[in-house]
Amino acid sequence: MSTSDEDSRGALRSILPPESVDRFLDACNDHGWQLLGVGTLAAVSLPLLGLEAGYFMTVITEMFLFAILALSWDIVGGQTGYPSFGNMAFFGIGAYTTAILTKDFALAFPVAFLLAGLVALVSAAVIGVVVLRLRGHYFAIATLGVLLAAQQVSRNLDITGGASGKILLQTPSGEAFYYLFLAVLIVEMGVVYYLSSTRFGFVLNAIRDDEEKATAMGFNTTYYKTAAWMLAALFTGFAGGAYSLFNTFIDPQTAYNGAWNVELIAMALLGGSGTVAGPVIGAFGLHTIIEIVESYAVGWQLVLLGGAVIVTVIGFPNGLVGTLREYASEMEYYKHGGMAAANADDAEVSSDE
Amino acid sequence: MAATQFVVNGLLVGALFAAVAVGFALIWGVVDIINLAHGEMVMLGGYTSYWVLSLVTGNAEGSPLLFLATIPVAIAVLFVVGYALQRTLVSRVIGTDIFLTLLVTFGASIAIQQLAIQAWSANPRSIQVRFADPSMTLGGIVVPKMKLIAFVGAIVLTALLYLFLQKTRTGRAIRAVSQNPEAAALVGIDVEHTRAVTFGVSSAIAGGVGSFIAVILNIQPQMGLIYTLKSFVIVVFGGVGSIPGALIGGLLLGSVEELVAGFISSQWTLAVSFSLLIVLLVVKPKGLFGQGVEQ
Repeated sequence: MSTSDEDSRGALRSILPPESVDRFLDACNDHGWQLLGVGTLAAVSLPLLGLEAGYFMTVITEMFLFAILALSWDIVGGQTGYPSFGNMAFFGIGAYTTAILTKDFALAFPVAFLLAGLVALVSAAVIGVVVLRLRGHYFAIATLGVLLAAQQVSRNLDITGGASGKILLQTPSGEAFYYLFLAVLIVEMGVVYYLSSTRFGFVLNAIRDDEEKATAMGFNTTYYKTAAWMLAALFTGFAGGAYSLFNTFIDPQTAYNGAWNVELIAMALLGGSGTVAGPVIGAFGLHTIIEIVESYAVGWQLVLLGGAVIVTVIGFPNGLVGTLREYASEMEYYKHGGMAAANADDAEVSSDE
Repeated sequence: MAATQFVVNGLLVGALFAAVAVGFALIWGVVDIINLAHGEMVMLGGYTSYWVLSLVTGNAEGSPLLFLATIPVAIAVLFVVGYALQRTLVSRVIGTDIFLTLLVTFGASIAIQQLAIQAWSANPRSIQVRFADPSMTLGGIVVPKMKLIAFVGAIVLTALLYLFLQKTRTGRAIRAVSQNPEAAALVGIDVEHTRAVTFGVSSAIAGGVGSFIAVILNIQPQMGLIYTLKSFVIVVFGGVGSIPGALIGGLLLGSVEELVAGFISSQWTLAVSFSLLIVLLVVKPKGLFGQGVEQ
């Protein structure tokens, strides 16, 4: 077992030397803005190059949607260490906001869309005050409870159309949604990437690593947690706000979808949580797989999702980006003298990060 | 008068919730895992009884005794399922991040649920148990006989678990592992096996309760999550690791839900119990009877 493992690792090293992986990751880190720009250009030019409204555009739009959701989850779950099972609550709140405003109040979609984000933001502030006081199991279950309670409320109210939901017929074109979801995603990636090198981002990571210590260092962790939670809710709310019209239909089951909540966690984990690119890569990858399964074996995609979650968690909980980073740092370790120099190099290694 | 009737109904159903929650609390206490697939064990237990009864009688109908005879089958099947779940999946994430353990069990929950939909369709089903006279009246309060049987059955299952933990060697091993896994291993207890047995026993009880639920309510593949969450509410009510606490918590939750259903509307029960949960978590995180819970 161990020898064959060593052999395969050796073979892998010669094909893909850790050093070049390291260099590649560094380059990505240093040129984040440029990469984001190139990605944006590529995505913007797709429809211009002949991608027409239809199946493929819908699938790609959904990829953007899931990338937004996974990245939002990661702001709180991956960066701050508060894994929420209730993020979809804000998605539903946003979705119902635009649905009600455009249908019952005849508001223009752009206004309703902005209000959807705002409503999600405000509800996050209220809910956050309560649930962010909890930790670990309690936080996870309380957020799940919030999701289910929100679902039941929307099922019982008249204005939400009850259990049968709302059908929305006057919607913008598929292309408009393609650009809208793309824009939200790009803005969110920019914000998260920018924050990751600011004091705010570092404090979030400090809360994840040791909240007591962060408090002891004088940070008002409640303020930071709530801000991160609200930021996540804002983007989730935008995504939901656009989704109800994109989908032309909204009901409690789709708006507050517990399975989606797990799906976006799986995406963030698969790609590598706590990073900017990880959740986005994970969302694109997993959604492609789920879409393929759905077109060949309808109904099995959620079975696959459950399996994917289990395999990810047991197999490689650090995700794609995390595993790559680990692999890249293997060489770094030996360059600095391996085990013998481990103690002496501690300071330098940690400052490298 | 109406209130008394609601409370009686609540107590009758609450005992079932309590028996499910006791297993959930046991896994939480011994293996230190929130088993989000616990509700699926209730679902699988219900289906086991349903299919066994269908196999015997041709349709899911039968006399009370015949139905009661299917319960040991459900218990046995679910013991195996629970044992296997711990051995194959959960044991791999014990000791890692809490969040990962939650995700693995949530993943298992989704997979089981969706496989059940594929196998048995999403339609709700129920077992019909025939009585000559289905309910009786005690002092002006109507008590359906089947609910009374289910109530007694749930209490018996809970009591059996309690006795099992207190009196048997395996039960003592389970308690030892819950107190200190390292020390338990030192005195020669197979910790992995004991944890798997804990999972098996908890799932078995949930499965037995599932059989009763198939009779007095109904079963469908997606029912599990609600029972998991109810168990969580009950355990938080009663305090982690306390069987009497879970029993009282279950009876309390059942009564609250029936009162809400009776005086407001059955559609609001879930929202009310979760609001209650969140208030309780914030105000009294150690539970009403618990000695202390790690946050």
